[in-house]
Amino acid sequence: MAEASQAQWEPKIIGFLCNWCSYAGADLCGVSRYQYPTNVRAVRVMCSTRISPHLVLDILKAGADGVLLGGCHIGDCHYISGNYYTEKRVRLMKRLLEESGVEPERLRLEWVSASEGEKFSKIVTDFTEQVRKLGPSKVKKDEKLRSRVAAADDASETFRLKALVGRELNLVNKGNVYNNKLDPAELDRIIDSATEEEFERSLILELSMSKPRSVKELGEIMEVPTDKVLRHIVALRQKNMIAMEHPEGFTPTYKTIVIGGEQ
Amino acid sequence: MIHMAETKVNESEKPRIGVFVCSCGSNIGGFVDVPSVADYAKTLPDVVYATQNMYTCAEDGLSNIREAIRKHNLNRVIVASCTPRTHAPLFQATCESAGLNKYLFTFVNIREHCSWVHMKEKDLATKKSKDLIRMGVARARLLKPQEEAKVEVEPVGLVIGGGVSGMTAAASLADMGFPVHLVEREGDLGGFVKILNNLYVTEKSAAETIKPLIEKVTAHKNITLHLNSSVKSVEGFIGNYEVGIAPKGGEEKKYKVGTIVVATGALEFVPEGLYGYNQYPNVVTLTEFEILCRKKTLPKLKSVAFIQCVGSRGQKMSYCSRICCNVAIKNAINIADNYEDMLGVMEKQGTLVDKIPVEKKATEEILERRRRRRGRGTEGEGDAEEVKLGPSEKIEVTVFNRDVMAYGVEHELTYNKAREKRVKFNRYTLDHLPKVFMEDNQLKVTYFHETLKLERTMPVDMVVLSTPLVAQPDAGDLSKMLKVPLGQEGFFLEAHVKLRPVDFATDGIYVAGTCKGPADITEAVTQGAAAASRAATPMAKGYVQAEALSSVVDETKCTGCGTCIEVCPYGALRKNEKGIAEVIVAACKGCGCCGATCPEGAITMTNYTDAQLLAEAKAALQEEV
Amino acid sequence: MEKAVMVIGGGVAGIQASLDLADKGLIVHLVEKTPSIGGRMAQLDKTFPTNDCSICILAPKMADCFSHPNTNVITYSEVIGVEGSVGNFKVKVLKKARYVDESKCTGCGECLEKCPSKVVNDWEMGLTTRKAIYIPFMQAVPRVMTIDKEHCLKLTKDKCGNCMKACKRGAINYEMKDQVLEVEVAAIIVATGFDVWDPTPSTEYGYGRYPNVFTAMEYERMINAAGPTHGHIQRRSDKERPRKMAFIQCVGSRNPQVGHPYCCAVCCMHATKESMLAREHYDDIESTIFYKDMRACSKGFYEYVERAKRDYGVRYINSDATVQENADKHNPIVVYDVGGRQQSEEFDLVVLATTLVPKKETAELAKLLGLKVDEFGFLESSDRILGPGRTVKPGIYLAGYAAGPADIPESVAQGSSAAAKAVEAIAQAGG
Repeated sequence: MAEASQAQWEPKIIGFLCNWCSYAGADLCGVSRYQYPTNVRAVRVMCSTRISPHLVLDILKAGADGVLLGGCHIGDCHYISGNYYTEKRVRLMKRLLEESGVEPERLRLEWVSASEGEKFSKIVTDFTEQVRKLGPSKVKKDEKLRSRVAAADDASETFRLKALVGRELNLVNKGNVYNNKLDPAELDRIIDSATEEEFERSLILELSMSKPRSVKELGEIMEVPTDKVLRHIVALRQKNMIAMEHPEGFTPTYKTIVIGGEQ
Repeated sequence: MIHMAETKVNESEKPRIGVFVCSCGSNIGGFVDVPSVADYAKTLPDVVYATQNMYTCAEDGLSNIREAIRKHNLNRVIVASCTPRTHAPLFQATCESAGLNKYLFTFVNIREHCSWVHMKEKDLATKKSKDLIRMGVARARLLKPQEEAKVEVEPVGLVIGGGVSGMTAAASLADMGFPVHLVEREGDLGGFVKILNNLYVTEKSAAETIKPLIEKVTAHKNITLHLNSSVKSVEGFIGNYEVGIAPKGGEEKKYKVGTIVVATGALEFVPEGLYGYNQYPNVVTLTEFEILCRKKTLPKLKSVAFIQCVGSRGQKMSYCSRICCNVAIKNAINIADNYEDMLGVMEKQGTLVDKIPVEKKATEEILERRRRRRGRGTEGEGDAEEVKLGPSEKIEVTVFNRDVMAYGVEHELTYNKAREKRVKFNRYTLDHLPKVFMEDNQLKVTYFHETLKLERTMPVDMVVLSTPLVAQPDAGDLSKMLKVPLGQEGFFLEAHVKLRPVDFATDGIYVAGTCKGPADITEAVTQGAAAASRAATPMAKGYVQAEALSSVVDETKCTGCGTCIEVCPYGALRKNEKGIAEVIVAACKGCGCCGATCPEGAITMTNYTDAQLLAEAKAALQEEV
Repeated sequence: MEKAVMVIGGGVAGIQASLDLADKGLIVHLVEKTPSIGGRMAQLDKTFPTNDCSICILAPKMADCFSHPNTNVITYSEVIGVEGSVGNFKVKVLKKARYVDESKCTGCGECLEKCPSKVVNDWEMGLTTRKAIYIPFMQAVPRVMTIDKEHCLKLTKDKCGNCMKACKRGAINYEMKDQVLEVEVAAIIVATGFDVWDPTPSTEYGYGRYPNVFTAMEYERMINAAGPTHGHIQRRSDKERPRKMAFIQCVGSRNPQVGHPYCCAVCCMHATKESMLAREHYDDIESTIFYKDMRACSKGFYEYVERAKRDYGVRYINSDATVQENADKHNPIVVYDVGGRQQSEEFDLVVLATTLVPKKETAELAKLLGLKVDEFGFLESSDRILGPGRTVKPGIYLAGYAAGPADIPESVAQGSSAAAKAVEAIAQAGG
């Protein structure tokens, strides 16, 4: 039974294509009748820079097997520098996917110009095969994975990561308020460690949302050393994002503070 | 057509969606089961009407939309057909004419993105079409009506490039009554053409031919000339550009212009390392040869070989340069007719006169013939006589070519004329390129005789290499400054190869002449005037309507961190007196970078909200019901 | 008075000129001889080098041109007289009786079913018939019927009257008369386009004699999904579809003997496109193109031909060619020579790229307007280098194929260019 559905399974891929280059390239591909598999469903946006990590992570959380982002070649962006940010955000998205346990290969960023119709067909063909090999997304069936993707999504929305990625171009090119230009590699390292931290914190909040959890329990679920978990909890308590519940015996447990009952 | 007052959709009103599925003749219908797709659309939430059309874009399709809007009280319209990039304006206008705000229209592409790319999988293509429509419905349900901002257009033009197409564009705009800034980086107007010998087979020199145009442009009261100058910066948008122009080494000055024509021309490809160029003295390019002719400095020649397609048509460059065959033919005829006049002074005074083929007394007759526009006389006299007047047996002109691109009337007749004058045309293929070499102090060409299937060698005194026009090496700078695209070969890329030959996809910027691809002078001039017409339209109208595609800041969420201001490439965001972000709608182009960046999630995009994009994408993940 | 311009000819060049003028706030009177605007481009299936669907990209422009608040599209009409000069032309336009009220007809087509007459369908290049009441093609603009008075039984013999009975809107009016409109305009743009030369007199190609020899325009209609065969390529002799096709270029052109020494400038690409389309329709179809020079010399054209060779298996043979026939199966035999040796090969179907010539009426129109035509009938520009499209008559400008061979983008550019010149003239005259 499972095998039968496996055989019938077709990858579901969402493509976010920018209006000026990749969507136009896909149009040209059609006009030139280059054939490709039917798995991609394209959503048109004005620029690839519109695609925030939240959009991609939310789609993957909803069960998409793959996400394809298409933009103009670097330097050709209709909006000058939009795709530069796209590239940086995709790097962040992939880091977050790694953290969450979803294969980063389910996300692909490609530059397709308005004159590269054939290239578009090759990319879709290739990516569809790649996703097919990865198999169906496990997010829907695997609750643990789902909460990790949700945490990745939350982490991507944190002020720290958004501001870091958003300011990267200026930090590297123009320097900070003290006129110190940052080495791009150094900045990548800063972003990477911030990504890990924010992901783990978001995961703590995600896990402690439905029921209070102890540090030990969190450490086990998250596969993170308890001292690290504790450090995160200290930071989260300072921001008033998590609260200590009445300790059961000697073990304190923590529960996420939900603001306005929204979450 | 009567335009009804636009009715606003009450935002709390329940969506009533109409779906129009187009067969596009057989373009979609041949590969997608259109009736079943239309039936399926009827089952989707809030869809109250769905139908199929043979051609939705035809007048009956459009009136079908208008009628359905009225009859079924539709407040959302979805057309599933081709690409929004060409057809959205038409359907949006149709919706508006029936009183529906155009932002309540959704386009679903089931042709370029479906039927044409899945031509052999009808079932899957049909399934995909249904998915795409389901996505469109999900999006349409969340759309809101928008109002467009009207922007005034500064009635001043800018033309970049003072070659023939740029001058024509500037003169045309000026004659229409608009002030124009014409920027040329060299000290003289005239561009590529000014260095040539003559244009077509005419008596007049090229400089003489374009002189009236240069004089007109120089003297025109509406034209401000910026010679030795270049464009340093461009800011703004259609109707409201602020352009920085600086003379060489001088200070940049800002000018306000409404529209821009790009006419920066092209260069001749330098055949470094090909056919003995820069290796043997008498191997020159076509343009160098023209300069020799113009300056009357030709060495004595008995045999000249032209080699066509040097570096083009699938070699260094993939494209055909369109003009080189005709330029070579013109020069071949020039040699045949006027060889003597173009000789250097030394050669003229020497003892070579007896070797010069064209008899002196024949010149008058040649002139007479040339005054008649075409080579073929209608009264029947002449052909035999013409041969007599052509090059003698003593001067030999051979054109090695792959295909002679003498398209149209003028070029083909000139080509015939060259053949009548005994110019030889030898065809070669990429498998057997001609070879140029020096042997015993004699330049020689070896070629493969396609009919005899033999290799032949002939001595020549000069080899002229016809190399293609190539894009300006700094076209990329201008492309970035104006945010308009270059094609793969580095030439500017027009909005649509067929129907928008002188427009860029970006409104307010137009293109003419060889900067968008090789063209002869007639074509370059035509494009110049065409670009002027296009550029004049918004100026004549006086305003443009800006699309409602901009950022919106949620004041309650914004903390004034300023990240959005840093990332916006258009300076379309600023802090207001309350210290929070504010959008300058006229400057915003709607890329969405600020929205994706805002750490507080306080910015969203009109018509491209997170909710709309997520609804559209997630609808694709549902199973067909 | 608001300044007005007349555009003669509603093909793509005329449409572009009209739109450019109307968008600038000028009034445009677009005079079109046939019942619909659209011209030759509307007849094509696809356009090179992108294989864009021709009518798909043109239809929005046609609709836009017709419904523009500043345009007055006068179809089924001809210019019969012109007086005055730049700034003040008085043009007489003969509006032929359509016998159908344009304001009432919705183009529903119910009358078509009831009409008993069958007439050769020019739009379909004579490959099929139409009725005496007709609409030339599905996307016609305006979408209204026209009665062809020479073939209508009611108008010729006072019989029938079926269409009037069928029409629920009462749009049919057999009493309608030709009208002469007088229009005042400041400038005139002539864009009357081209005709296809009939290759019957060139007997070496066997057109008209051998059933399976077609002209390129006939083939274009055949391969069009909206055409007479619904996109199926069919032999005339047995309605079978061909497997092996030959395209012969320069039929009647580049040939001083039959009076068309010029090159038509579009047929090389056209044949390449047609052979590619054939392969798209049928995987096993083989095409051979016999050509003199492969004039693929605009942006992307050379690459297009290379793609035809590489991906579509199109065979190119550089040779003149003539046609004979294997009478058994009516298979055309193409005789050609390679390397000085004569060869022949049998095909299922042959397509002739016939000369494109200026419309016959253009010569008469030129006389009316005082314009010069060259020896082939193309309208002449006064200065072909710096003033292409300007004529010896100030205030009258040219665009499109009527002024010499041009492809679609060139015609569009010329349309815009002519519009610019008209606006210049009006501005200079103090308008």
